Amino acid sequence: MKKIVKNLTNIFKPKSVAIIGASPTPNKIGNVILRNFIDNKFEGKIIPVNPKHDNISDLRCYSSVTEVPGKIDCVIIATPAETVPQIIEECCRRKVGGIVILSGGFEEVGRMELAQKIKELATASEIPVIGPNCLGVYNPYTKVDSIFLPGYKLQRPKPGSIAFISQSGAVGSTVMDLSAHYGLGISKFISYGNATVLDESDYLEFLLNDKETEAIILYLEGAKEGRKLLETMKKVNKTKPIIALKAGKGAGAQAAAKSHTGNIAGAYMAYQAAFKQAKVIEAGGINELFNFVKIFNQPKAKGRRVGVITNGGGIGVLTADAIEAEGLELAQFSDATKAELKKILPAYGNVGNPLDLVADADVNGYDKSIAAMMNDPNIDVLVVIVLLQTPPVDERVIHVLSKYVDERKKPIITISIGGAYTEAYRKILESKGVPSYNSEKAAIKALERFVTYGKYQESIRKSE
Amino acid sequence: MTLVEDFRLLEKHGFKLIPYEIAQSEEETIKAAEKLKYPVAIKIISPEIEHKSDSGGVKVDLRSEEALKVAYREMIQRNASKKIDGVLVQKMARKGMELIIGGKKDAQFGHMLVLGLGGIYVEIFKDVSARICPVETKDVEEMIAELKSHPLLEGARGKKPINKKELEKLVVRASQFMQREDIKEMDLNPVICDERGCDIIDARFRK
Repeated sequence: MKKIVKNLTNIFKPKSVAIIGASPTPNKIGNVILRNFIDNKFEGKIIPVNPKHDNISDLRCYSSVTEVPGKIDCVIIATPAETVPQIIEECCRRKVGGIVILSGGFEEVGRMELAQKIKELATASEIPVIGPNCLGVYNPYTKVDSIFLPGYKLQRPKPGSIAFISQSGAVGSTVMDLSAHYGLGISKFISYGNATVLDESDYLEFLLNDKETEAIILYLEGAKEGRKLLETMKKVNKTKPIIALKAGKGAGAQAAAKSHTGNIAGAYMAYQAAFKQAKVIEAGGINELFNFVKIFNQPKAKGRRVGVITNGGGIGVLTADAIEAEGLELAQFSDATKAELKKILPAYGNVGNPLDLVADADVNGYDKSIAAMMNDPNIDVLVVIVLLQTPPVDERVIHVLSKYVDERKKPIITISIGGAYTEAYRKILESKGVPSYNSEKAAIKALERFVTYGKYQESIRKSE
Repeated sequence: MTLVEDFRLLEKHGFKLIPYEIAQSEEETIKAAEKLKYPVAIKIISPEIEHKSDSGGVKVDLRSEEALKVAYREMIQRNASKKIDGVLVQKMARKGMELIIGGKKDAQFGHMLVLGLGGIYVEIFKDVSARICPVETKDVEEMIAELKSHPLLEGARGKKPINKKELEKLVVRASQFMQREDIKEMDLNPVICDERGCDIIDARFRK
């Protein structure tokens, strides 16, 4: 890993953070960021920098980084674009650890010279720079938070294992808010904007070595360097799954192309090709990003054979249809499992896959049938459909499901389809790390991606 | 680049094209057909015609001198207003699946290769799979499997499966060709494949 990339640790785990453009005025960007650090009880030193103030929120305020005593690990800049090169120069002289530039007004408005200056300075000093023109970073473990959207409007997710790299600030913040809403844990959030110094490939490389990250979401509009991205994705995705969402899928093909290939092969097709070559999982939209990523907290699947448990026949059949459509298999239960399940089912019940516990199934029925399937060598993954509308199903089912998820013996996903009551329960399941879906098609599609990725990792392990 | 130059460059890179002759007159066309042996196909060579089959510029399965003459005159007449460089006379291709092997230099990722259902259906079905070059054999295996027409290649409806080994070799060669010659856009279309092998019937590219 290049030193400048490795140095990103200074931004994510700083002992001191300087906020350039810190402000006492509520709702100003420089104030929101300062409040993030104070309110979230950041454990390191918080250093406001603004020549107009001596003190902000009881913290000593400095007129520039050059006057700050001691080491500065991380600098967050929220001042107008034209002031930035000068600040970067001072940061380089002060040998700060890393810089996040939130300010806009660079490449995106054609001011290449400002961007170029930043790039030259940072590269020469090997100081990592995130941005400009971005939301910056969030690390729930250390409470580093440069997102200038107030916490009461945009909830911050809890610590977890999913890293999120986003070119766009808007998509990034939406995903953050939704992650928090569903109780999905985040390891690192990086909104990188113009990618002036470090680009998406550098962040992937950094996250490959980040202990807290197990899966990576990558939101892209356009890559900075396509070839570098392809090679980096190949490398990273072998160890940590990357789930990518590419915006700007329009044909992009030259209308005047002289060849058939020129007509059909637009820019997006090249991205698709690159994702396929790197075995990166491509999501079709924001919702699908969530659907895909949340299953990756499960232990690896050994194969494609699915055991389905349901308390509603119809949804069971729809799920079986989806399993077939996605190229997964319905498992054939072993004789031992069949015998075990017969004991659980009411006299009129049939042992089949999907296993229909019927509507009078209670929590105990789920507990025992999941246990039986967990022990069946013919079953690789479990899909548990819990229709919460039936009288005998109550909150104890959450404990049963999370118990088996915590055992980490086989991957489990759950499907619960319904209204407000069901959605409330789903939220609790999600917060306990039980992948929950409100659509059988979405669930099985995610499961297929998960199983296929597991198979890919297995094939690498074997070939190495 | 003209068709003849395109063909020569492909041959230089080891591509085997279906046997062909270039003719400048009816007489030469007949001679060429005799040399290649009937049945033959003839195609118009013109810088002004983008899609030959749309303008009566392709006549296939000509089994006799008589049929050839009729086809030749019809073709020339229909394209009388166009600049005509000559006529491509080709040995009639095997029957099989019509595929396209295409290529493009992408602004971000560089050379990429496309494999798909070819012939006149390319732009209608858009059944293609792409990879960034260099494309290796295992990539081609995946590309073939990704096509919606995949079952046809595997020999659906009692047909024999196509010779995938030959197709794989051809696609890998096309990928090398794209990169070595720095091709901006390429169409090998159609490439006709059956259980024995693949014939490149038509080719065009832009450097």
